[in-house]
Amino acid sequence: MFEARLTQSAIFKKVLDAIKDLLNEASFDCSESGIQLQAMDNSHVSLVSLTLKSDGFDKYRCDRNLTMGMNLASMSKIFKCSSNDDTVTIKAQDDADTVTFMFEAKKQDKISDYEMKLMNLDQEHLGIPETEFSCVIKMPSGEFARIVKDLSQFGESIVISCTKEGVKFSTSGDIGSANVKIAQTSNFDKEEECVSIDMQEPVTLTFACQYLNSFTKATPLTPVVQLSMSDNVPLVVEYQIPDLGHLRYYLAPKIEEDEN
Amino acid sequence: MGILNLSKLLADIAPQALKEHELKTYFGRKVAIDASMCLYQFLIAVRTEGNQLTSADGETTSHLLGTFYRTIRLIENGIKPVYVFDGKPPQMKSGELNKRHEKRVEAQKALEKATEAGDVGEIDKFNKRLVKVTKLHSEEVKKLLKMMGVPYVDAPCEAEAQCAALVKAGKVYAAATEDMDALTFGSKVLLRHLTFSEARKMPIQEIHLDKVLEGLEVTQNEFIDLCILLGCDYTDSIRGIGPKRGLELIRKHKSIENILESIDTEKYPVPENWNFKGARELFQEPDIADAENIEMTWGEPDEDAMVKFLCEEKNFSEERVRNGCKKLLKAKGGSVQGRLDGFFTVLSTTPAKRKVEDKKNTPNKRGKGTKGRGRGPK
Repeated sequence: MFEARLTQSAIFKKVLDAIKDLLNEASFDCSESGIQLQAMDNSHVSLVSLTLKSDGFDKYRCDRNLTMGMNLASMSKIFKCSSNDDTVTIKAQDDADTVTFMFEAKKQDKISDYEMKLMNLDQEHLGIPETEFSCVIKMPSGEFARIVKDLSQFGESIVISCTKEGVKFSTSGDIGSANVKIAQTSNFDKEEECVSIDMQEPVTLTFACQYLNSFTKATPLTPVVQLSMSDNVPLVVEYQIPDLGHLRYYLAPKIEEDEN
Repeated sequence: MGILNLSKLLADIAPQALKEHELKTYFGRKVAIDASMCLYQFLIAVRTEGNQLTSADGETTSHLLGTFYRTIRLIENGIKPVYVFDGKPPQMKSGELNKRHEKRVEAQKALEKATEAGDVGEIDKFNKRLVKVTKLHSEEVKKLLKMMGVPYVDAPCEAEAQCAALVKAGKVYAAATEDMDALTFGSKVLLRHLTFSEARKMPIQEIHLDKVLEGLEVTQNEFIDLCILLGCDYTDSIRGIGPKRGLELIRKHKSIENILESIDTEKYPVPENWNFKGARELFQEPDIADAENIEMTWGEPDEDAMVKFLCEEKNFSEERVRNGCKKLLKAKGGSVQGRLDGFFTVLSTTPAKRKVEDKKNTPNKRGKGTKGRGRGPK
């Protein structure tokens, strides 16, 4: 028996919105410690890693580990049928072929049940090594989304270069080039508006706009985003989900082509 | 022609070995293409109103047109192709080649008949059967590839075997051919439909050898014997033993020698002087060039040379050739998107249980077997 209950169905909505651009379907691995999802997009360029800890739920019960393959578009349809402040309960039998979402309205006496067929998915699980990153940037998530959106108009890829002074996002394309520089801020009153850079070594990497734009769909989850970079390893874009866990995106950089 | 009915057998017995992907998911991959196979495809498929395309003096140009456009399409999708050309056919293939020759003679006769009768459909059908890739075709394509900056390899013998060797040596990701015997030669990954026309919207079929062996529950050597039983290019097979029966026998007896001892040769007549050992040897130790020493470089296209060759000699449209060149240059320039699986290692794969019957028979599988499955970062 699996059961997980959350008073705010809005959080699930936001999580789904944040991953359904990249993934059509995904396996949710449920265990005693919580719900995990790890999946690469079709082209194997980016990876989504979602962790929802069991103690963040209002009620959580998982008697036996189970993996539920779900079509994210269908799941999203179901959650669209709920109000943001509905309480959601996700239920599944141990060997079930379906999962049930139950929404309870706060104000009125209304309970809706949605049962969805599960899928058998073919999935590759990747081992992600723990890395010490050369640069870790924390910045307002809205600001990051804005920069990525703005620069995407001018080119297909964005160069992110991080030095002690600040972070520079740049791109160039047919009409010209664009640069956005942001410096570290020392305003510690509001952590949410602060830009902080923890740098061991300067790093410059190039990434495809298309994926960065998909990542910023997670912006409504939390006001702060963390970017971690090292030379020649994938970028990690992390959004904390308050009290519940985190959503991480990994993105393979674009590589300068060598002669062979 | 590859291995008779192998792809059907795999679809039935080991469906997890077959995957379908879109072309664009192969960016950044190096792929060895069986050139003879794809030239043949071009000669058959690239036609207008049933006729091959020709230059002003009546020479066929279908193979050049096909090579030009489809190679550009691969490169535009970020794939790095290397073409592998057939060398001398092995001695043992002569039987098969004779058969093909006979068929060709027959087709020629039928064509003459059809022409007399004026049956357009029949003429077209037999015309296609008469298609043969000649040395001249290969030479012209090699010349074009060189101008396009695309490497090619001359195999000493069978191209599929050489492609497989390149995959085994880690020089390329996969062998691209329609012939299933690339697997018998030990290619870890086989791609089918890679050089098909875009208009056919055919997804690329990816076949992994390890999954094939796992699914069929045989070793590579047993697999080779199985392929010989199914029917390969090098020798005859036993009449009356089809794919299912063949697989059963191999699983039980492990080798053709043991099978021959146990089956009723009255019922299943073994071909005279059946040289299955020779065929097996060909698959195990094919005549190939040492893949380690093969250098492949993807260079810049030589636009002027291409215009001279394709437009002046072969009557291609200059505008199209120059456009194609631009595409090649564009794909060449700048940076290439890295693949995430190049950075992280695949810990485990959870295969999907595709068959509906499977689901009915084993409804209790879900949720078990989470042991050893990779979790995300903590």
